[in-house]
Amino acid sequence: MTFVVNDKCIKCKYTDCVDVCPVDCFYEGKNMLVINPDECIDCGVCEPECPADAILDGNDPEAAKWIELNTKFSTIWPVITEKKEPLTDAEEWNGVDDKLKLLSEEASQAA
Amino acid sequence: MNIITKPASTETKIPDGVFQETVLEVQHYTETLFKFRTTRPDGFRFRSGEFVMIGLMIDGKPLYRAYSIASPAWGEELEFYSIKVPNGPLTSHLQKIKVGDKILMRKKPTGTLVIDALSPGKRLYMFSTGTGIAPFASLIRDIETYEKFDELILTHTCREISELQYGIDLVEEIKNDEMLSELLDTSKLHHFTSVTREDYKVCGRITDLMKSGELFKHLSLPALDPKNDRAMICGSTAMLKDTQLILEKSDFIEGANNRPADYVIERAFAE
Repeated sequence: MTFVVNDKCIKCKYTDCVDVCPVDCFYEGKNMLVINPDECIDCGVCEPECPADAILDGNDPEAAKWIELNTKFSTIWPVITEKKEPLTDAEEWNGVDDKLKLLSEEASQAA
Repeated sequence: MNIITKPASTETKIPDGVFQETVLEVQHYTETLFKFRTTRPDGFRFRSGEFVMIGLMIDGKPLYRAYSIASPAWGEELEFYSIKVPNGPLTSHLQKIKVGDKILMRKKPTGTLVIDALSPGKRLYMFSTGTGIAPFASLIRDIETYEKFDELILTHTCREISELQYGIDLVEEIKNDEMLSELLDTSKLHHFTSVTREDYKVCGRITDLMKSGELFKHLSLPALDPKNDRAMICGSTAMLKDTQLILEKSDFIEGANNRPADYVIERAFAE
């Protein structure tokens, strides 16, 4: 099982995970990142790095419902390989529950 | 006519954006364990304790696995310590490499078993099983580890005595090497070994030896305390989980690169 990103990432997008991923398997939407489950090697380094605790081990029972979203958007959004500034109001949104309704399906704009 | 099988690693064009390095030395320890050393690419930087993806071209395609770099950040060559998995997609080929063969290496080292992910402390415990000793083989050869901690405790637990040899040779080399022993205060380094499936001076899983207190008795050190102690864990999934539980019970907090704390863990990358 690979790792997945859940809705805690939405509107935060800290990107600390991107910096440590050895296989560059993070993909970037406008207000969320996802992991490509086919590329993730299950190394687990990203998980403790996330300031929003948004990365789950695939073996976590909570992870199952996020796999589809990660799979879908990792084929639509562009890959992100370098850390960048979090979204401007990331601190305010960090820890807010049930952010899925706030997900933007748009891809990120190239920097 | 003889059918000559070409080595898997050199047949096809290498993929873009990866290093191709030359094997300089191979040493087999047991039927299931070996180490090898390779050239180090110019400009390839890493922190002691990190891992990198290494691989071979197999059936025309690159196949990679994560490997801890066992050599220190200052080393001119790279060292890796590997298991041989029967029918393992990569290791069944990798175990046949010889001096002069090429291996592939992706360009991005990473990992959490780095000094940067720990807050300052007095003692550094490095708990390992099997090939999980590899990142610590790097750290115990790095001067920074000795500068940051008063004592370094490397524990290595394997099933059989012969599987401890890599670690035993390594520690002996560090203590006897003229340059290393001059640079590093090797009296700080303690090497604790135990085995689980043979008679040996210390028998048992590291987690049992921690719980019973036997480990600390052997080392003449007090029980774990987040005030003074820092820990790194690398081994099997079960060992990681159990060791982590013991640390959490003693109020150790997990650290990360961007949030240094009391302990860090990394999966051992067996196939």
